[in-house]
Amino acid sequence: MFSYYFLLGVRSLRRNPALTALMVLTLAIGVAASVSTLTILHVMSSNPIPHKSERLLVPVIDNGPLEGYNPNESLRANSNEQMSYIDAANFLKSGQGERRTALYGVSAPIEPDRKDLPVTSSDGIAPSRDFFAMFDVPFLYGQAWSEADDKAGANVVVLSQTLSEKLFGAVDPVGKRIRMFSQEFQVTGVLKPWQPIPKFYRLIGGPGAFSKEDEFMIPFSSAIRNELGHQGSMSCSGRRDPGWQGLLNSECTWIQFFFETRTAAARGELQDYIDSYAAEQRKLGRLKRAAKNNLYDVMEWLEYQKVVGNDSRLSAWLAFGFLLLCLVNTIGLLLAKYSVRAAEVGIRRALGASRREIFHQFLTETAVVGLVGGGLGLILSFGALALIAMQSKQLQVVAHMDWAMLALTFVMALLAALLAGLLPTWRACQVTPALQLKSQ
Amino acid sequence: MEIRPILSALLRSKTGAILVALQVAISLAILTNALHIVNVRQAVSARSSGIADESTVIYTQVRHLAKSDHNAQLAQQKSEYATLAAVSGVTSVAYTNQMPMSRSGSTTSVASDRKQVGNNPGASFYMSPEDLVKTWGLKIIDGRNLKPEEVIEVDADTAPDDLFPKVVLVTKALADKMWPGEASVVGKTLFFGSGEEANATRIVGVIDTLQTQQAQVTERGGWSVIVPMRMTNGYGTNFTMRVEKGQVDRVMKEVETALRTAATSPIIVKVKTVLDDRKERYRADNALAWMLITVSILLLLITASGIVGMASLWVTQRRKQIGVRRALGARRVDILRYFITENFMITSVGVVGGVMLSIGLNQLLVSQLEMAKLPLDYLLIGAGVFWALGVFAVYGPAFRAATISPATATRSA
Repeated sequence: MFSYYFLLGVRSLRRNPALTALMVLTLAIGVAASVSTLTILHVMSSNPIPHKSERLLVPVIDNGPLEGYNPNESLRANSNEQMSYIDAANFLKSGQGERRTALYGVSAPIEPDRKDLPVTSSDGIAPSRDFFAMFDVPFLYGQAWSEADDKAGANVVVLSQTLSEKLFGAVDPVGKRIRMFSQEFQVTGVLKPWQPIPKFYRLIGGPGAFSKEDEFMIPFSSAIRNELGHQGSMSCSGRRDPGWQGLLNSECTWIQFFFETRTAAARGELQDYIDSYAAEQRKLGRLKRAAKNNLYDVMEWLEYQKVVGNDSRLSAWLAFGFLLLCLVNTIGLLLAKYSVRAAEVGIRRALGASRREIFHQFLTETAVVGLVGGGLGLILSFGALALIAMQSKQLQVVAHMDWAMLALTFVMALLAALLAGLLPTWRACQVTPALQLKSQ
Repeated sequence: MEIRPILSALLRSKTGAILVALQVAISLAILTNALHIVNVRQAVSARSSGIADESTVIYTQVRHLAKSDHNAQLAQQKSEYATLAAVSGVTSVAYTNQMPMSRSGSTTSVASDRKQVGNNPGASFYMSPEDLVKTWGLKIIDGRNLKPEEVIEVDADTAPDDLFPKVVLVTKALADKMWPGEASVVGKTLFFGSGEEANATRIVGVIDTLQTQQAQVTERGGWSVIVPMRMTNGYGTNFTMRVEKGQVDRVMKEVETALRTAATSPIIVKVKTVLDDRKERYRADNALAWMLITVSILLLLITASGIVGMASLWVTQRRKQIGVRRALGARRVDILRYFITENFMITSVGVVGGVMLSIGLNQLLVSQLEMAKLPLDYLLIGAGVFWALGVFAVYGPAFRAATISPATATRSA
């Protein structure tokens, strides 16, 4: 019976074409609006590294001066969210956790060999070696630099595929040299396209959570040794001595740090470690405030840094309100459509169809409307996402439909149609056959 | 009036009426909030940065690959300044460390008293040895501009923190924040930093408006200072220029070529306009506004189509009654009035519900998403829009109902 009802439903699309078109369009627009905003929200709030996000931890230590410290104030108002070089260097040496990395953003002019070509500017980061293993960074050629390179602060570099192809063409450049910061850097590896969304490892001060991939990586120790200034934000609470060494000795915070623990449960041990570290530093008189030391895993960190903006939430909320409106509208239109078919229902009932059958028939018909609306809604969603992607580079990164959202679009359209169809269908079932037949 | 019979007819078949009222209510709630947000964002993105006639101000960032010492850099800066001033179409050049709305630059905490600690306002820190006030067309409303002899030259790599300018210009917004209610702050001392180590500077002038590099939405967006200072930090320098009207595109190209030609070692040059920065700074706000406007238009269309649909249905259902009424002496205008009055009543119920829903939705937005509170006039305008929309949408079906001829309507079955 289902396939017969389905066919009837398809055929009935042609009945009152204007009304049906309006219904399908309403449903499609409502679904498209909610799906496109939801897609963006979904991508923005997705877990960039699902299998180990609970084991990657950001330590936050408050190294501010005693003046202006208010223990009752919220954490955010008091604490520095990045780290000073002193703490970062100590944590790197600590051997705590399975792996650990400090990193900061650097911007490099890359000088081509040919003098007639202009110098290009590229943006990268300076992490320590563990970065690649911690964040599962995939290599196309070569590998990360060695432990010894980290120790020596060697001039080595890992390139993104894009930058590598720009500089060397589509060949394996491992072992070749590039000139940046007026020095020679040896290429040890080239990455496959790698772009975690959100870019959880560099949320503060950089180009943002939804920016393009980093073009190169050089060792943290090398960047420090070469006195490479940071790209990003820096927060200084006290005075600092001039010069590079002055910065390294200061309490200015400008470095991002990550620990990886062996298991999620090992977080407690790490917390104990940073607590005792902070207590020791307090005893030495370096840390002044008796503030709490915090660890954030990746998802907590994204939440804490407010990666999903209120505007994106607002858009999604309003889009769902809009879908609700479309739903109410569809109920009205379906009521109109079904109310003129009382005679047909009367005849079917008189010929022996039960109320149940009528219910099935009309609901199937509604589902057909939902499917068509879903299909159209999908096309509209792609259009809407393409429009949104044109707004900015950041939105270009997040405005992508995935399979889950694709399926959701259909399910949502179908559910919306069925929900809208319940009342009109129930109304149709209430038709009294005798009354209808008499009035014929 | 015929309100009584319409009401009792409505109460007999409530479903359709409820659906229409519900649509009106939901649309009204979304529309008022959406339009309010659009207006708030538009107001934010239309704020003045302080720069007069932004369309003729550009800036350039010059970055040298090789690091050179303080004196060499000072010489570099001076020759670059001369190069830029020589480009035809450039009417004024100034060295600056940052641009309003550019979203990168430095902020320093300031205090009115050495003892003041905690919660010191962060002021955007503009440095310029040349006449930034003149190039940007900033308005000095009290005191005087900075003088060339007050400029200090600082090497970021070696200079101690207490090498600091003795005079400063502040914005009115910052002055009002630091010394609320004070008629004039000229001559007062502003401290950079806090405690014993704070640097004391004398305020010599007050600028009407100069936004920070972030151009925040809050009052912070107006807290800026300009200090007479030239800094060398190893690599690069920013210059800003006022350009003759209509020459901007040409000058931008020539600035880049001129700097490259004059440079003795490889450099990276970026040239941007203030309007580029403005566009980027408010991109998200404008995108949201457009999305809300689109949703609002669709909202009105869908609600209108819902009203037309339901009214058409009622006209079809009541064909016979209309025929009878017409046969008994009702004029066309009576039928028209009946449907319009009926619709007006339904819309009114929707509007009342919608007003309450708007307020509820707004409270949710305020508490959950940090949006602004909805002023009452939006509700009034929203209500007016939907009343008009209702009448407009029902007019078509009602007119069709009025043209039903009594003879044919009563004859059939």
